[in-house]
Amino acid sequence: MISRLLSFWKNLFRRRQLDSDLDDELRAYLEFQAAEKIRAGMTPEEAYRAARCEVGGIDQVRQSVRDIRTGALLDRLTQDIRYGIRTLSRNPGFCWVAVAILALGIGANTAMFSLLDQVVLRLLPVSHPEQLVIVRETGNHYGNSYGPNTISWPMFEDLRDNNHVFSGMFCRFPADVTIGYGDRAAQIPAELVSGSYFSMLGVGAALGRTIAPDDDAVPDSKPVVVLSYSFWRTYFNADRTIVGRTITLNIHAMTVIGVAQPGFDSMELGVPAKVFVPIMMKTEMTPRSDGLKDRPRRLSWVTAYGRLKPGISPERAQLSLQPLMHSILEMEALQPEFTRNATAADRQLFLRNRVQLLPGSDNDLRENMRKPLWLLVALTGAVLFLACANLANLLLARATAREREFAVRLAIGASRARIVRQLLVESLLLSGAGALLGLLLSFLADRVLVKMYLPAGVAADFAVSPIPDWRVLGFALAIMLLTSLAFGLLPAIRGSQTEITPTLKDRSGVGSLSSIPVRRLLVAIQIALSLLLLFGTGLFVRTLRNLENLGPGFPTDHLLTFTINPSLNGYSDEETKSFFERLNINLETMPGVSSVGFSTMPLLQGYAWQNAIVGKDFEGAPIEQQPVLSEVGPNYFATLSIPLIAGRAFTTQDDGPANYAYSVINESFARKYFPGRNPIGQRFGLVNDMETVTPDIEVIGVIPDKKYRDLRETPPPQAYFPYFEGPKFRFMSVYLRTHGDPRQIEGEVRERMRQFDPHVPVVGLETMNEQIGFSLRTERLVASLSAVFGGLAVLLAVIGLYGVVAYVVTRRRREIGIRVTLGAMRGSIVALIMREVLILIGTGLIAGTVLAFLMSQWVRSQLFGLSPNDPATLAAAAVALSLAAGLAALVPALRASRVDPVTAIREE
Amino acid sequence: MPTPSSDLLQGTLDLLILRALALQELHGMGISRRIAQMTTGTFEVKAGSLFPALYRMEEAGWLTSSWGESETNRRAKFYALTKTGRKQLKAETERWERISLAMATALRAM
Repeated sequence: MISRLLSFWKNLFRRRQLDSDLDDELRAYLEFQAAEKIRAGMTPEEAYRAARCEVGGIDQVRQSVRDIRTGALLDRLTQDIRYGIRTLSRNPGFCWVAVAILALGIGANTAMFSLLDQVVLRLLPVSHPEQLVIVRETGNHYGNSYGPNTISWPMFEDLRDNNHVFSGMFCRFPADVTIGYGDRAAQIPAELVSGSYFSMLGVGAALGRTIAPDDDAVPDSKPVVVLSYSFWRTYFNADRTIVGRTITLNIHAMTVIGVAQPGFDSMELGVPAKVFVPIMMKTEMTPRSDGLKDRPRRLSWVTAYGRLKPGISPERAQLSLQPLMHSILEMEALQPEFTRNATAADRQLFLRNRVQLLPGSDNDLRENMRKPLWLLVALTGAVLFLACANLANLLLARATAREREFAVRLAIGASRARIVRQLLVESLLLSGAGALLGLLLSFLADRVLVKMYLPAGVAADFAVSPIPDWRVLGFALAIMLLTSLAFGLLPAIRGSQTEITPTLKDRSGVGSLSSIPVRRLLVAIQIALSLLLLFGTGLFVRTLRNLENLGPGFPTDHLLTFTINPSLNGYSDEETKSFFERLNINLETMPGVSSVGFSTMPLLQGYAWQNAIVGKDFEGAPIEQQPVLSEVGPNYFATLSIPLIAGRAFTTQDDGPANYAYSVINESFARKYFPGRNPIGQRFGLVNDMETVTPDIEVIGVIPDKKYRDLRETPPPQAYFPYFEGPKFRFMSVYLRTHGDPRQIEGEVRERMRQFDPHVPVVGLETMNEQIGFSLRTERLVASLSAVFGGLAVLLAVIGLYGVVAYVVTRRRREIGIRVTLGAMRGSIVALIMREVLILIGTGLIAGTVLAFLMSQWVRSQLFGLSPNDPATLAAAAVALSLAAGLAALVPALRASRVDPVTAIREE
Repeated sequence: MPTPSSDLLQGTLDLLILRALALQELHGMGISRRIAQMTTGTFEVKAGSLFPALYRMEEAGWLTSSWGESETNRRAKFYALTKTGRKQLKAETERWERISLAMATALRAM
């Protein structure tokens, strides 16, 4: 074994020495033989000739010795590679085109895969992430909810203390808090976590310690905080003395007890937390909303996680948790919180709720990005497939041109397998170069994509590592091998089938015409795929245009917006109210600002405040049918340029007692709840868990329908209340209508706000158009990328078609020459060629259309305002593609018609 | 004259080379001569089979080689058995004897 390794080493690096040794040895052998024959009486010349005959060719002996050496395979491979590089570099134009096509194809795929991997596929950076599950409740929760994956605090405790399937449970709640430093303030994302959070995740501390169960035993008792590693580095300059010091969160002094391990910054991708606080400090971190100490069961807010005991599958755990969940629901259904407003039918429905376990890494960003990203991966896959078809075509043409070379190699004794290997090595060289370049491209592309897709603050933390990890490298390597096989195998086999005698004898290479049907098929595939991509591009671009053109239902130019939350600073209700009154006056007097509107619900950000309402003729409804609500300032409608259709807007005089007295509703609300009646003066009430309500809110105005959550929705029924009446002030969205370009006064607004109150940070200051643009980022990403890929696909297909037609024309020169001699008109020659081209394009188009219809259901959810089978878009794509392809084919067809018959016939 | 058509059985050549080198170290030509002599001319090993076999056996660690002077004062590469080579010779010889005995018995039984 060792001697094998040694000789392998020697063979690899001392080949020259070994070869010359062998030469010496063989020469000596020859001389011995000759000397013997001379002794037997031959003349020296005769003796040497005879000796050489007996040896049977020095070269053959040398080659057979080389072949048995260890590592001979590697030796031949390097030979193939060297030969391959030489052959390829003889044709640099072809090389560059091929490598560029491959780099684009592989690069696009790697970029998409890397994005998909980071956003959708990857598990959490914690120990045994596959054991972690989110524990949620399905069905209608009957109450207020912070999201579909949340449950109430008491339910979390019940599940935690009574289950037999988890080795432990923990929960978390994300919240924004203000952090004070010097005379400035900033708002940062925090994660409120249960005491078992860090130990259950297996996340340690880089410095100090993490939050322990003791820190989270008694409400309000332990003002401690753990910093995320990146926050500690950027905000505290990696100060190692930070442990034991205090920082101010909201208005509370919190002791820093440690820094979490690097790379861990919360359970949710795209929502990195900067600080971790015990969930028992909820009251301090989220003033005015508790849910913890008062233990309401009809408010779901914590996301609960369990770590499955070893050997227990999520399915089994889900089944065995269901009886526990059912007993909790039965208990809840008897409580007054539930019975006060729920009917018997509601109760039946409620008791049918089930416990559901989701992978621990699930979140909104993943959920929203899953489909678009898979779609883009499919698009890039199609482009790569198309590129392979294109390259296979190019290589087939090359193989035909190299038939003489293959024939010569076969004639002097190369095996056909060796030719196949040689050609595959060349393909591998091309795709290897393409993959290297593609990796570089994909890295650049990913940085641009992440920047385009994620909010600026998050994108900065969202590290796309400069060194691609092994998954991405593995993926690139795998598709490199696959592509080189996909585009190289067919031409390689074709090349090795070269017939020696006719090829060497006949310069015109009659046998090679056999590759034309294959090349036609490849072109038809390319046309079909590019139709598919072009059609997709059309659908996505029109979706984006539809969404942009439709707009939210009010003019968005000259609008500036930000949010602000003075309650985090511990301001009382009175102080907060005064804060907003003063802020209103301050901003209204600002030069360049024509009007200021306040709203407690941010517009078009996906948020909704929903509540069931009661009236004379209607009562509570399931959440899907509940109207959406908001509290707004007096000039809100004027600022957004939303006219009043009937009645009046709020005035400062509507500032009444703590309960809502007046409301402005939209047309949908009026149609739904007051059909056929004048809505002005009608009354309704908001359903409440705590007491039975009477309908005493008076409608004073009606506005036209406008969008509320996002641009995709049909405007839901909406009701607005004056915010001064509201019992609770939390986040406030501020909208400024400006005279000129709102971007020009952004800086001034920021400065004015800092002077107004330096301790209340301004969050998300941007123009309304920027905000809307950002909310359409998924659509824009899909539309722009599919446009790039569609364009690329058409370009490749057109080049492919051109190549085949040009090739056919060259092959048929003689035939065309004869036709012209016999009196064929130029036009009929063009028609002859173009008829075949049109059949080819037609076949591709039909195949592409069938494919498009088969796959249409798949993209339906990504479209807006048009059907996935939209005939106009399909027709436009087909026409554009046919025109481009037809023009590309016309060039060689016209060239064919100008063939000079005399030279064409004489040539052969 | 040797019969030119007598093909060497797989493995036979290795055994013959090992046997040829059992007494003394030899160069390529010498091995060829020695084999012819040992088999009374039945096997004549050509360079085309001899040298690949020598290199293979050297890589397997059965032989070592060194450059030296031949009896006619020419530079030549001499091959010698290694310890492994001797072990191999013993094993191969035993194996061959078993086979040849079995073959002889079988042929006689006909």
